[in-house]
Amino acid sequence: MASGELKGHFDVAVAKDLSGKESTSAVSTGDGDGIQITCFTEDLNDVTFHFQIIRLEKQIYAWIGCNSAKLGHLYAAAPTRPNNAVSVASILGGASDNTGSSIARRIVLKTGLNVILACNIPKNSPMLEADAERKLMEKLKELGYTRSRSQGSVLSNS
Amino acid sequence: MDHHSGRRFAVPHKKLSLDIKGTKTDLIICSYDDYFLVMVTQIGSMGTILHAKKEEGVSIHPTFAVSVIFGKRDEPMLMACARQLIEHISNSGSSKPLVLSLGLKDHSLETLKGVASALIENRLW
Repeated sequence: MASGELKGHFDVAVAKDLSGKESTSAVSTGDGDGIQITCFTEDLNDVTFHFQIIRLEKQIYAWIGCNSAKLGHLYAAAPTRPNNAVSVASILGGASDNTGSSIARRIVLKTGLNVILACNIPKNSPMLEADAERKLMEKLKELGYTRSRSQGSVLSNS
Repeated sequence: MDHHSGRRFAVPHKKLSLDIKGTKTDLIICSYDDYFLVMVTQIGSMGTILHAKKEEGVSIHPTFAVSVIFGKRDEPMLMACARQLIEHISNSGSSKPLVLSLGLKDHSLETLKGVASALIENRLW
């Protein structure tokens, strides 16, 4: 397998967060939309939360790290037909605790986005969950990724 | 908000864009404490998500378990791509498992080979 098989231009954007503050990097391409990765860290009530939001064209990936950089449990959530009810599936890590799945559900409820959420918040920590969810929602709104559900389904049919 | 000056974000990551068979392909590689997360997309979403890990064992040659955890379960080329990457990760000295998402327009050999070689060239392991 030779790298000669790769044709065309090769744009590499290495995104590093140097100061621990928020960093958003976007690769903009000719058609005007690129993937945006936003990473930031916050201390809330002596707990360090790390957030990573990757915005794809039709989907959002978010990771919440609670005091560590482990991936945690992975959930997929989206509005589903026929009435845009929210469905959540646990895809990695098991569903014996709902930490993360309820955050994913509420993000989709409030934003109408198609979401993959990774979350390593320990179970039985409703305060941590609430803090993390609030912060993540704030950031999603601030970045302009949220859409009012009254604007209709945001699932693309193409 | 507390500023952690001088420190990098907890999860190193890399993002790049390239052309495979005429289709713009975005690659994102993230290194968590306990996983590598690799996203490859041509379709604006993560697509099919696979999990691959090295199995514990005492024999000289490691074995690997690859499975689809979300999406298409009938595309052997996707599994093959994950299998190739986890072996490369393992041979590079890391025993972290892999979560790989492939949102591709086609599942041809040429495309998957292009994907695998781009990822290996830009690896974080």
